Amino acid sequence: MSDFLHWLTAVQGIAVRQSSSFFKNPALVLPSLLFPMLFFAAFAGGLSDLNRIPGFDYTPGYTTFQYVFVLFQSSMFGGIFIGFAVARDFENGFARRLMIATPRRSAIMCGYGLAALVRSAVTIIFVTIVALVAGINVLGSPGQIVLLYVLALTSNILGSLWALGIAFRFQTLSVTPLMQIPFFILLFLAPVYVPIELLSGWIRHVADVNPVTFLLEGGRALMAGTTGPIVTAWLVVLIGGIVLGIWSLTGLRAAEKR
Amino acid sequence: MGAIEVRGLVREFKKGPRAVDNIDLTVAEGEIYGFLGPNGAGKSTTVLMLTTLLPPTAGTATVAGFDIVKQGPQVRASIGAALQEAALDRFLTGREHIKLQGSLHGMKGADLRQRGNDLLERVGLTDAADRKVGGYSGGMKRRLDLALALLHRPRVLFLDEPTTGLDPQSRSALWDEVARLSREDGVTVFLTTQYLEEADALANRVGIIDHGTIVVEGTPDELKAEVGRSSVEIEPHDAARLADLERALAPFGEPMVTRGTRASIRLNEGVGDVAAIVRALDAQGIVVHQLRLREPTLDDVFLEKTGRSLEGSGDNDEDETPSA
Repeated sequence: MSDFLHWLTAVQGIAVRQSSSFFKNPALVLPSLLFPMLFFAAFAGGLSDLNRIPGFDYTPGYTTFQYVFVLFQSSMFGGIFIGFAVARDFENGFARRLMIATPRRSAIMCGYGLAALVRSAVTIIFVTIVALVAGINVLGSPGQIVLLYVLALTSNILGSLWALGIAFRFQTLSVTPLMQIPFFILLFLAPVYVPIELLSGWIRHVADVNPVTFLLEGGRALMAGTTGPIVTAWLVVLIGGIVLGIWSLTGLRAAEKR
Repeated sequence: MGAIEVRGLVREFKKGPRAVDNIDLTVAEGEIYGFLGPNGAGKSTTVLMLTTLLPPTAGTATVAGFDIVKQGPQVRASIGAALQEAALDRFLTGREHIKLQGSLHGMKGADLRQRGNDLLERVGLTDAADRKVGGYSGGMKRRLDLALALLHRPRVLFLDEPTTGLDPQSRSALWDEVARLSREDGVTVFLTTQYLEEADALANRVGIIDHGTIVVEGTPDELKAEVGRSSVEIEPHDAARLADLERALAPFGEPMVTRGTRASIRLNEGVGDVAAIVRALDAQGIVVHQLRLREPTLDDVFLEKTGRSLEGSGDNDEDETPSA
């Protein structure tokens, strides 16, 4: 078996184990499905009257507007939660098995990342089914919708890379807030409840440069079949992927030296 | 070249002790090398370095002919390891662990299935293979860990205190399997343990480590012969007469470290001295509560080399790796 095939087999093995372990444990599965639903119900339901405020001109409607947020939020956090699993594996010693038995350790990073993608895909399907039942309007072309979901899954990779970098460095569950808080801050300093045009003051200034703004606005544009900062959104995931990829890889190297 | 070659290996931790201090050792192909020492002596830190889990601060080491720093992937492909805590996922079954371990080593398909089934049978886990590991006993987990370590047919096997916490029956079964691996499969085994009888029963050669340095190395018989003569340990009925007892014993041999209310000497003439000792104690009116004649053990070797006993030492001094 070539080195690359060996590496690929290890990635697959780690992803299958992680996914299998996750889906067999209701205590992990249920929150990952219910958490996004809570956001969706609270924002799309509770704030649905925002649809009528002057200046809100998102054609597919407020429920769809919120669906895109929940899509990205659940996808990113699906990635971040993989950091919890890695930290747990370090705490209980399982990570040592992976570190000793995997000749090319980058397979560990990619295996966990792949498991995060699988988890998020399941969550996205669940959220989308509920959203369709709730009446979201899909106005984008099939190509745009495919791009939307690829963008959402790419944001999952960003979340994974960030959380993996933390987990590899600290190797303890006690740092899980550090994995979540920066993404929470970025998410809630973006135009979550209303379009960016309706934000004013300091929050507008922050939102203007917040990378998550471009993801949400780009995603909403794809959903609505309109133009928006789609190219910028892809640039965000590309640059974010490079920066956080380095962060995660250097974290893995740090873990090798502990 | 030996299966394991270590030269001047050092591991220092920031704000911590020098856990491993300039050790040299060679383990031949197919040999079982017992690495003995109390908790905190540096055994596990040495294993972590040799298994590429921890980089050395200084020195060099090769495992299966590969440098542990420069050729980590090749080292990992050549070794199997069962470390102190059996690193298992309680939500996975034994067979799922086999699949995972196989994939980490690039194994798949019929070869993996066959090898996995063989090993599960060898360690007596065929019936439990499809049960979640969360329901396994400690002994079953250790046996599964051993099977996982052997899955890819490693040339060198690291066993870090493999029988700690096991019942005597499980311990004995594991010893048999380790001995068989070396004898029949030619696997080199690097075994750390704090159980003297384990090293005595299994190891072709033993290295004793204390405070990060190897204090003595050789076959168990060589080391015991080095300590030499038999010893006698006597506990007086009246603990207040311990000093009298020690004086009475002095002509018969060299005093050893006193443990509690017992006095020990290494006999000048061996077992033949015992009758004379009993007569001497009787003449002085020292009533003996307990008398024990002992052949030299590895603990005596440890005592001789370090001035303290290995058995029960450092129980509260875990061999934890301080964070760097």
